[in-house]
Parts: sequence; C-alpha cells; structure tokens
Amino acid sequence: MTRVTTTWTTHGTTSAALRALAAEGATGALSGERGVVYLSAGRVVHVESAFTPDLGTLLTRSGAVEPDGWRAAVDGGGRQHRVGRRLVDSGRLAAGALEVCHLGALFDAAYFVLAHDTRPRRFRPGAVHWLGAVRPVPVDVVVRESRRRRALLERIWPDPDIDIAPLTRAAGADPADLPRRRSRTLTQVDGVRTAADIAAALACRTYHTLVELRRLAAAGLVTAAPPAPVTAGPGPGPGAVAWDDPDTALLRRLRDALEAL
Amino acid sequence: MPGIDESLLEAMRLPGARGASLVDWISGLALGAVGDAPGGDLEATAAETAELARHVAESGSLAQGGETAAPDKEPPVEDMIVTTADSYHLLRFVSTPFESTVFLHLWLDRNDGNLALARIRLAEMADRLVLG
Repeated sequence: MTRVTTTWTTHGTTSAALRALAAEGATGALSGERGVVYLSAGRVVHVESAFTPDLGTLLTRSGAVEPDGWRAAVDGGGRQHRVGRRLVDSGRLAAGALEVCHLGALFDAAYFVLAHDTRPRRFRPGAVHWLGAVRPVPVDVVVRESRRRRALLERIWPDPDIDIAPLTRAAGADPADLPRRRSRTLTQVDGVRTAADIAAALACRTYHTLVELRRLAAAGLVTAAPPAPVTAGPGPGPGAVAWDDPDTALLRRLRDALEAL
Repeated sequence: MPGIDESLLEAMRLPGARGASLVDWISGLALGAVGDAPGGDLEATAAETAELARHVAESGSLAQGGETAAPDKEPPVEDMIVTTADSYHLLRFVSTPFESTVFLHLWLDRNDGNLALARIRLAEMADRLVLG
C-alpha cells in the first residue's frame, strides 16, 4: 500500500493539500467542498463533482457510446478499475476520443472543486477510481487551469451563482436572435434547471455551458433565480437533489427518518 | 489505436515540424503538446490560438457551412492557416463523436515544411485520433 503522511490536513485549501499530496506521490481520493479529486502516484487521474455531468452521461447522451455498451464496460471493468481501457479494447470508443472526453470531464469537475478553494474535507489513502488511469495530469496544471477558468468566466460576467443556481430566462429573451450554441443553451433555461442540468440535457461540456450562460447573463437574458422556498413536505422534491449540498441532503434524510419514527 | 500523444508525435514526424498540440478552443486548454511553442510558452500559445479559432468557429460569415445532420459534432470550419516570415501555423478542427471543440495545431518551419502535405496528413491524423 501507499504510505501517506497526514500533512495534507495542515493545509487550509484543497489546492494546497493537493500540492502536498502530489509532492508525496500519494494515491487516493481527496474530498473538497464541491467534489472529489483522485490521485495516483501524485498525479490527478480523475475528478468528480455533483455540479457537472460525469463521463458516462456525456458519452451516452451524445451518442458516442451506446448506453448498453457503457454499462457492459462498467460491469466488466469496474472492479479492476479498468473501465476506460475496456471501452477502448472492446472497440466502443477510439483511444483519442476517450482521452479528449475524459480530460473534458476532469477539468470541468476540477473547476468546481478548485475555483472555490476551500478547506479539504478528507483524504482516503489508496482509493482508486473505477474508470482507471486514462491520461494522468500533474496537480499544478489542474490547479492553474481551474484558476484561469475562474478568471475567464469572471471577465465575461462576474456572477458565480450562475454556475450552481437554478436559472431563469428574462422576459422576452428570444433564442432565435442568437448564435446557435448560445441559442441552444438559452432554450434549456426554465427557472428550474442548473448549469449542470443544462449541460447534461445538451450532452455538452459544463465549462462550455458556463461560458454561454455567463454570456447570456451579461446580455441580461439569464439570471440566477432566487432560491426556491423550502417546502415542509415529505422530503425534497425530485429536482432538488441536483443543487443540494450532499451533506445537507443527508441531514434532511436523517431528519425525515427520525421524524418518521 | 493512437491516443493524443501518439497523434502529436506522428505530426512531429512531418518535415519541418517544430511543435504540435491539441487544444480546446472554448477553454484554451492544451490537452497535449509536444515539441516547441513560438515564444517558448505552450500554455500561452494554446490560449491565444484558441481565441482565434473560437472567433472563426463562431463567425457568422467565415463559418457559414451548410446545415449538417449533426451540427454539434461537425466543426463549422476545417482548417485555419497562418503564415509568418519563417513559419506556418496549421490548425485542423477535429470532428469528435461528442460535441466537437478541439483542434490540432501544427507549427511548421517554412523552409523545410510542405504545407499542402501537412494539411492532408493532419486531416488524416485528426480522423484517426477520434475514430481509431
């Protein structure tokens, strides 16, 4: 097993903890406030965030891989942490296509974990992602790119709520007047969906969706909707899970379970 | 079946090749790079080239292709070519089986490079990268 010291806990931000773990050549999963970064021998092999659709969603919704083919690769390669390899070896996806889509998902999720660089929550030494190592990236590159993206988005329209909140279309905003990519994004804005929902619906990379949404916000066509009032009903509604903080959702379920006793 | 690095190394075998990279034209991120970059800064080159590619790809006049069956998967532009006193820059948009937002960038020495040959080869490499 990998020997890992616990120096990461002394760091106040997820990026600083990642750099410390990279210097140790650590393998495992570091959880931040908005997602999990998987390291292998000190390099980033995958990042997951609830604020971005995952690789499987991107590949199957876009039609690049049949849902059955994706499930077969996950069933067949998941336990050995070789799902990526399995997709390529079975001829379902070209190696280059997997790398391009994987890196897209990795950097999209990393933006959410690292752009709001808060204190890391925990590190699970030795944890390995089921996808397997497709194209490991140095920690420094991931941290630098996440900050660059935050600056790029700020320059378009400085409202970080656009990234995570349900979005509302301004009255009279007409998709027909816009470039195709932006118009397609605007048609998905319905007062309920978040950027992640829209990206998943369009099988579109989240960062690319954020760029279009911030441009739409800058043009006054889209705003972050005020948070919906919490209804005192039996548990959260079907759409609520998407933008709930995972721990809040867990606490609510616990509360509901206790009340039901 | 080539991955990103194998494709870039293959591009570097073309006569006069100085540097090759695969860049996302929306974020400006280099997904892979080999060889040199003009000015020595690969990341800056990727970000600047991506900005140029994005303007052309989103241009109402330059990228006015016909309506294709899958407009998201077919890049609106095939190549872009920039020439300088001593080099060529060849950008080939890659058609991926999901949303297409990457291009191959080949930096060629003008004395040793063959632009016509490089254009044909880069198009073949772009296809093999994503189709196997």
